[in-house]
Amino acid sequence: MTETFLSVRDLKVSYRVGRGSLDAVDGVSFDVPRGSIVGLVGESGCGKTTVARALTRVMADNAFISGGRMLFDGRDLAALSERDMNALRWREIAFIPQSAMNSLDPVYTVEYQLNEVLRLRGGLGRAQARKRCEELFEMVGIEVGRLRDYPHQFSGGMRQRVAIALALALNPKLVIADEPVTALDVIVQRQILDQLRDLQRQLGISVILVTHDISVVAYICDRTVVMYAGHVAEQGTMEATLTQPSHPYSMGLRNAFPDLQGAASGVLTPIEGAPPSLADPPPGCRFAPRCPFSIEVCASVTPPQVEVEPGHFAACHRAGEAPALRERARHVSTWMAEA
Amino acid sequence: MSHLKAAASRTLQLALVLWAVVTILFLMFRLMPGNPLAAYIDPTFTVEQQEALMAQFGLDRPLWEQYFIYLGNLLQGELGQSFRYREPVAERILALLPNTLVLTFSSLIIAYAFGILAGAYLAWRRGSAVEQAAIPLVLTTRAMPEFWLGMVLLAIFSFWLGWFPAGGTRSAGAEFDSLFALYTSGEFLTYLALPALTLAIYSQGLPLLLMRSNMLDVMKEDFVTMARIKGLSNWTVVVRHAARNALLPVMTSFAIAVGYQLQGNVVVESVFSWPGLGRELVNAVSASDYPLAQGAFLMIALVVILMNLVADMLYTLLDPRVGHA
Ligand SMILES: Nc1ncnc2c1ncn2[C@@H]1O[C@H](COP(=O)(O)OP(=O)(O)OP(=O)(O)O)[C@@H](O)[C@H]1O
Ligand code: SF4
Ligand SMILES: [Mg+2]
Repeated sequence: MTETFLSVRDLKVSYRVGRGSLDAVDGVSFDVPRGSIVGLVGESGCGKTTVARALTRVMADNAFISGGRMLFDGRDLAALSERDMNALRWREIAFIPQSAMNSLDPVYTVEYQLNEVLRLRGGLGRAQARKRCEELFEMVGIEVGRLRDYPHQFSGGMRQRVAIALALALNPKLVIADEPVTALDVIVQRQILDQLRDLQRQLGISVILVTHDISVVAYICDRTVVMYAGHVAEQGTMEATLTQPSHPYSMGLRNAFPDLQGAASGVLTPIEGAPPSLADPPPGCRFAPRCPFSIEVCASVTPPQVEVEPGHFAACHRAGEAPALRERARHVSTWMAEA
Repeated sequence: MSHLKAAASRTLQLALVLWAVVTILFLMFRLMPGNPLAAYIDPTFTVEQQEALMAQFGLDRPLWEQYFIYLGNLLQGELGQSFRYREPVAERILALLPNTLVLTFSSLIIAYAFGILAGAYLAWRRGSAVEQAAIPLVLTTRAMPEFWLGMVLLAIFSFWLGWFPAGGTRSAGAEFDSLFALYTSGEFLTYLALPALTLAIYSQGLPLLLMRSNMLDVMKEDFVTMARIKGLSNWTVVVRHAARNALLPVMTSFAIAVGYQLQGNVVVESVFSWPGLGRELVNAVSASDYPLAQGAFLMIALVVILMNLVADMLYTLLDPRVGHA
């Protein structure tokens, strides 16, 4: 396997709410090999954005990292001083947000906003910055003439390209993309993902792609990290996790999404029920209340990470029976019987 | 194209508003009980003389005819004769307008400069002790009556400390070649200081609170978070992004505030014997000098309407989204 350059270990991120706090991310570990795209996937509220933002250390006012490490090229991001962390921001770790509309400042031209990072963060001179702006626009396939336009003058897909150009401005090593195509229609989604993948390969950067859409993972990712209620349920190569899912939640997730390629993969079956409250998570396996395969031990003992194949982990008491469970999970009735 | 259309419809709107104001003013002064010429007519006048006067002012004609004569006159900038001063209203008003505008703009510029900076600062220091002490203080200044504030400042800085003159725009006997020479003289500033300060203290609350609440909203926007993720300095994030965006509605409110201020001026101009439009309006009304009162009203309305137009234009200028979409 290729060299790991980001290694998240037992990451715990909490939000202060009222008097207490809620652990939105509770002991998450995963690796990002250099030059790969890792998909962070899971239902709304499972903590994907919280992980993504923890990596930038720009979090909500009431959020704090309450444990764990984030080893980035040998340095622990969780332990860096604010000053050292800020030195890494955008130069080494860039971010592509879900809605480029809201994340571009409406009163400045796109060129101004590119220049801002190029000059203030990249230390480029006026002429160099100008050249780089044009280069970046060419890279993401937008006419250079549109640099002087304001964000609202671009279409949704174009804006997302602008966001990619911005992210790549300073040649970062890691790009974190939080639902970068969720707001777009499927055709544009595919174009943007193609572009992201091409640029990622060409520039050799690593990408963490946050999405709730398993088909986006299937389309572009090398590895998958499946999250459920603040935990990692399963992780491994994209092929392994999608063709041989070993955690019942991933098996269900696969049934719940259409294919981005357009091929209908049978009936779509949503997983019944809702994730547990993070303020008061159930003991044992957090998926147990919705799991069609839960057994007695599931409700009381937190399942360990089981290595079902080299590099492929599932946090499930029954991971050893995965092939048999997979067979049962194919049937719609398995999921209907629950709930 | 849509740009032109918008401008045209806006102008038409303003013309309609102006026409409505003019008509209301006409009706207000015509339909008031009592003889409008009462203040003008000497009790010793004979009935014939009175009637001759009525005819001279056109008051013997039917109302609708008077209305059209009035509109026609207005279009030519003819506002009639002041009863009290026996001189053209237009001249009188144009002589006083600059004093009022200087007072209004200088006080508002101070109020807005201070309010914007302080509001942005308080938003940035949200939750701090400074903020907790400042907000009630600002609310108090908003609640203080202008005349009371004016009197207090007068008592302290003029009567007690003797730093500033008590009223007027110049010392007795001082002559200036032009208004420009007056307004740029150091002496004028000492006269301007207290009334402008009173109005500024009275007005700074609005921009301050508006700026603060806008800032708090804008700070929650994604683009501010993104600016932080980009590692931009605190100054860049707060000033160039948050404050710049929060400023839009505040700048527009400036133009609108000019209109409000003209009404507020009435009190302050009276307290400080400032020879402006507001004080003149009060005097004219109490002396039943209808042409002058009408003219003063009209001028104030005109400024208010114009400032609304300026507010619109400011928005188009400051917000690239307006007019492009
Ligand atoms: N500022 C906050 N204060 C308190 N709780 C929060 C805050 N932000 C997020 N949460 C909670 O933390 C959990 C994880 O949120 P997060 O935004 O990371 O989820 P997500 O996986 O990105 O979901 P989505 O797909 O909806 O974006 C959710 O239960 C959410 O309600
Ligand atoms: S541990 Fe039990 S409840 Fe949890 S996913 Fe595995 S089988 Fe289901
Ligand atoms: Mg999210």
